Amino acid sequence: MTATTEQQLSLEDARAYLLDRARERGVTLEVYGERGTSTSVKAFQGEVSEFKLSARQGVALRALVKGAWGYSFTENLSPPALDRALDSAVENAELVAPEPGAGLQNWPPPPALDLYGEGLSGVTVEQKVGVALELDRAAREADPRVTSLPYGGYSDSDAQRLVGNTEGLERGARELHAMQYAYPLVSEGGQNKMKGDWQFTREFTELDPTRTALSAVEKALALLGAKPAPSGTFPAIISGECLGELLALFSVMFSGKMVEEGKSPLAGRLGETIASPLVTLLDDPTLPRGLNSRAFDAEGCPSAPLALIENGKLAAFMHNAQTAARAGTTSTGHAARSGLQGTVGVAPSNLILQPGRTEGTAVASGLTGVRVTGVSGGHAGANPITGDFSLQAEGFWVEGGEVQHPLEVFTVAGNILDLLAGIEAVGNELHETQYAVAAPDVRVEALAVGGA
Amino acid sequence: MLNESLASEVLTLARSGGADFAELFVEDTVSTTLRLHQGEVKDAGGGNLFGAGLRLLYGPRVVYAYTNDVTESGLRDLAEQVARARGGAGEVSREGAGGLDFRRLDAKPLYVARDHPLHAAKRDKLALMRRAHGGAAGVGDVKTVDVNYLDRVQRVLIANSEGLWAEDERVWTRLSVSAIAQDGTLRETGYYGPGSGQGLEFFDTVTPENIGAEAARIANAMLRAGYAPAGKLPVVIGNEFGGVIFHEACGHILETTAVEKNASVFADKLGQKIAHESVSAIDDGTIPGSWGMVTVDDEGMPGERTVLIENGVLKSFMVDRVGELKTGYKRTGSGRRQNYTYAPASRMRSTFIDRGEETPESLIRQVPLGIYARKMGGGSVTPGTGDYNFAVNEAYMIRNGEIAEPLRGASLVGNGAQDLRNIVGVAGDLALGQGMCGSISGSLPTDVGQPHILISEITVGGRA
Repeated sequence: MTATTEQQLSLEDARAYLLDRARERGVTLEVYGERGTSTSVKAFQGEVSEFKLSARQGVALRALVKGAWGYSFTENLSPPALDRALDSAVENAELVAPEPGAGLQNWPPPPALDLYGEGLSGVTVEQKVGVALELDRAAREADPRVTSLPYGGYSDSDAQRLVGNTEGLERGARELHAMQYAYPLVSEGGQNKMKGDWQFTREFTELDPTRTALSAVEKALALLGAKPAPSGTFPAIISGECLGELLALFSVMFSGKMVEEGKSPLAGRLGETIASPLVTLLDDPTLPRGLNSRAFDAEGCPSAPLALIENGKLAAFMHNAQTAARAGTTSTGHAARSGLQGTVGVAPSNLILQPGRTEGTAVASGLTGVRVTGVSGGHAGANPITGDFSLQAEGFWVEGGEVQHPLEVFTVAGNILDLLAGIEAVGNELHETQYAVAAPDVRVEALAVGGA
Repeated sequence: MLNESLASEVLTLARSGGADFAELFVEDTVSTTLRLHQGEVKDAGGGNLFGAGLRLLYGPRVVYAYTNDVTESGLRDLAEQVARARGGAGEVSREGAGGLDFRRLDAKPLYVARDHPLHAAKRDKLALMRRAHGGAAGVGDVKTVDVNYLDRVQRVLIANSEGLWAEDERVWTRLSVSAIAQDGTLRETGYYGPGSGQGLEFFDTVTPENIGAEAARIANAMLRAGYAPAGKLPVVIGNEFGGVIFHEACGHILETTAVEKNASVFADKLGQKIAHESVSAIDDGTIPGSWGMVTVDDEGMPGERTVLIENGVLKSFMVDRVGELKTGYKRTGSGRRQNYTYAPASRMRSTFIDRGEETPESLIRQVPLGIYARKMGGGSVTPGTGDYNFAVNEAYMIRNGEIAEPLRGASLVGNGAQDLRNIVGVAGDLALGQGMCGSISGSLPTDVGQPHILISEITVGGRA
C-alpha cells in the first residue's frame, strides 16, 4: 500500500506539473481532471437510513507518441504518482497502433454557460436531510396502498472539470446539481408495483419534495390492477419517457466512432431518410438545465447544438477531433470520457426529439392497442449494432383512445429504425428522462408485444 | 502503509460524535485495460484508483464519507467531517481515550496468483489477445472482431473500532471477445467473456483461442436466424451464464439490502418452500480462483459458502453488517463494494443452482414446443416487485423434443417468486459464468451458474 505521507497536489497544480514534465520530455500530452464533492441522503420509514459525503479528484492522461495514444489515470496526486502515470501513458502509447488524424488542438473559447447557479454553500445539512425525510413522509402518507418508500432520497454535487494540453489549451468549468427521487412500493390484492419520479435542478431552493413524492405515488398506483397482456402486434403509443429510454439505448448509433468501426447500422447513410418526416432529433449540450450540459467537451472543444435527424433525414454523426479527422469533417464537440478510467470516445449530451403538432391525448385518438410507459433490461436486450430490441415493458391497454387497465409484465420487441420510420403522430409536450433524453409521446402503427 | 496509530486515531476521532461503530477502508488499485479492434491495438490504458472510506454506524443507520486525500491530515479532516455529519449532534473531541488494540485477521488466501498481472509485461497480455482474435477472425461470416483485456489488482486495508485489522489483495483477470458476423445487410453479434480471480495462468485452462471461437460460433449461428415468437412457452436454459436467471430473479431479493426494507417478496419466507424441490441454490465466496471469490469481504469478514435454498426450501439470506443489525440474521461474509467510494452492502459472490439428476437432452426431450436459450445475455430486476428480464444471445426453437431453427432477439421476462416454482427439471452439468453485477454498492465481479434447467412456462419477448 502506498505511503500516506506523500503530499497531494491540487487539480490545477497536478495539471501544471504534468504538462511541465511532458514538455521537458518532448511528449505531446492532454490532461483531463475532475474534482467533486457531493452529499447524498436516503430516508426510510421516517429516519435517515444513509448519509454519504464524498470528495473525489483525479487526473486522466493521454499521451501522443508517434501518432499513437496511450492512456493512464491516477487519483493519487502526489508528484511521484503523477510521474508514474506519465510514464505509464507513454509506455501504453508505444504499444498502440498509430491513428491517422490523431492530434491535440488549442480550441477557440467555449460559450458562456452558467451551470453553477447560487451554489450550495448556504445550504445546511439539516435542509438536505429535510428533503429526504419529506419525500419519505409525503409518499407514505399519500395513500394507504403505499407500503413504503424503499428508494427515496436527495443528492447533490459540486464539480469542477478541467482540460489542458501541451498545445497551450487550458479550460475549466464548475457545475452544480441537486436532485431528489422517490420510488414508492404500492400493494393491493397481492400485487406489488413500484414506479417513481424525480426532480433535477441547479438551485436547491427549487426542489419540491412533496410534489415529487405525490407524483411518484400516482404513477405507482396507476400500475395496480394489472391484467395479463395479450401477445401479438398492435398499434401503440410510446410515451415520451419510454421513447427517451429507447433513444438513450440506441444513441451510440450516431457516434462517429461506432460508424468508423463498422458497429452502427447508420454507417454510410448520411443524407438518407431513416425516420418518419415527423422526426427531428437534436443534441444540445448548451441547455442551462440539461443533465449533461457542458460548455466544452473532454478534449476542450467548444459545445454547440447539433441536429442528428432533420425531418426524417440523417443529418450528422457526433464526432470528437480524432473521428472527425478520419471522416474528413470537423469535431462536433462530442468527445466524451466516462470518468477518469476510460478512453476518449464519442457520446451525446442532451438528446431532444423535437415535439410535434399533435395535442395531448389526441396522439392516442381512436387507437386500440398498447400504451408503453417504460422499458427495462436495455443493457442486454437492446443491440445498437443491429438496432434490434426485446425488452421488459410496462404499460396499459388502450381501447378507442382511452386507457382501460394496466398490464402485467410483458415484452416489446422490434428495431429502433423501423420504429422511428413508423411514427405516425408526434405529441406537442416534451417529457424529460433521467437518461438526459427528452421526447414527446409518439404513435406507431405496429409494435410486437409478448404477454400471456 | 497506513500505520496502526493513525488508523486508531482516525477511528476514535470519527466516533467522537456518538457513533456506535467506525470502519476505515483504504484502497490502492492498479488496473490495465487493452483493446484490439480488427487485430490492431486501439486502446491501452489503466491506472491507479486510490482512496479511503470511513463508515459510521449509529444503530443501523449509516454515515459514509470518502476522500482521495489519503494523507495524515486528509484522513483527520475526513474523520472530523464524518463525526459532524449528523447535523452537529454530539461533540467532536480531539482527546482520544487511548489507542485501539488491533487484532490482525489471519485469513489464508483462497488462491494465490502464480502469473501475477502486475509482474507480466503488457506485450504478453497483447499476445493472449492476438490469440483470441485469431480464434474468431474470418470464422464463417465474421467480419469484425474486438478483443478486450482487463486486469485489476486491488489492495485493501479494513480496520474498525472493534479492533479488526484485515488486509487483502484481490486479483481479477478477464478476456472478452465480441464478433460481428455480416452477410449483406444481415448482421449479428456474438460475445464471450470469461474471467477469474487468478493471474494469467487462467488462460492456460480457458484458452484465448477458445474464447474467440465461441464468440464467432454464436455470431454465425444467429446470423440467419428468424425472430423469436412472443408469448408464454416452456424454456430450457443453458448452463454456465444461464444462471443469470437465478441471479436476477431470486439472488437480488435474497440480499438483506432488499429484505431489510421489506422490498423483497421472500422477506418473511425463511424455512418455507419457495421453489420446486429439484432446486437447491448456493452463494459461495470460497471457490478458489473464482471471479466471485472473497477471501475476506469488504467489511473484513472471511467469505463463506451460504446455502440459500435447499430442495426448494429457503434456508438463508445474504447478510452484511447493516443487514444483520436490521434483520437479526447472522452475517455471511457478503459485505461487498466496488471500491472506496461505496459503503459495503450485501451482495452476491458466486451464485448458482446446484446440479440435479437429469441431462440436458432429457430436459429438451420433454418439450413439445418451446425455446432453448443456450446463451444468455444480461438482465435486471425490480427489487420491490420481483419482476425481472433478461436477454437471450443464442436461442433455438424446440420442436417435438428436438432442437430446431435458430432464433434472434428473444428476451425472457417474469416474476422471480413465481418462476422459481416453475423450474421443473435440473440437469447435472453445473458450470459458472462471469459477469459484472451492478447494485447499490457499485459494479462487482460475480459468478452466475447453473446446470441446464427446464422452466415449464415463461414469457418470451419476440416479434414473430
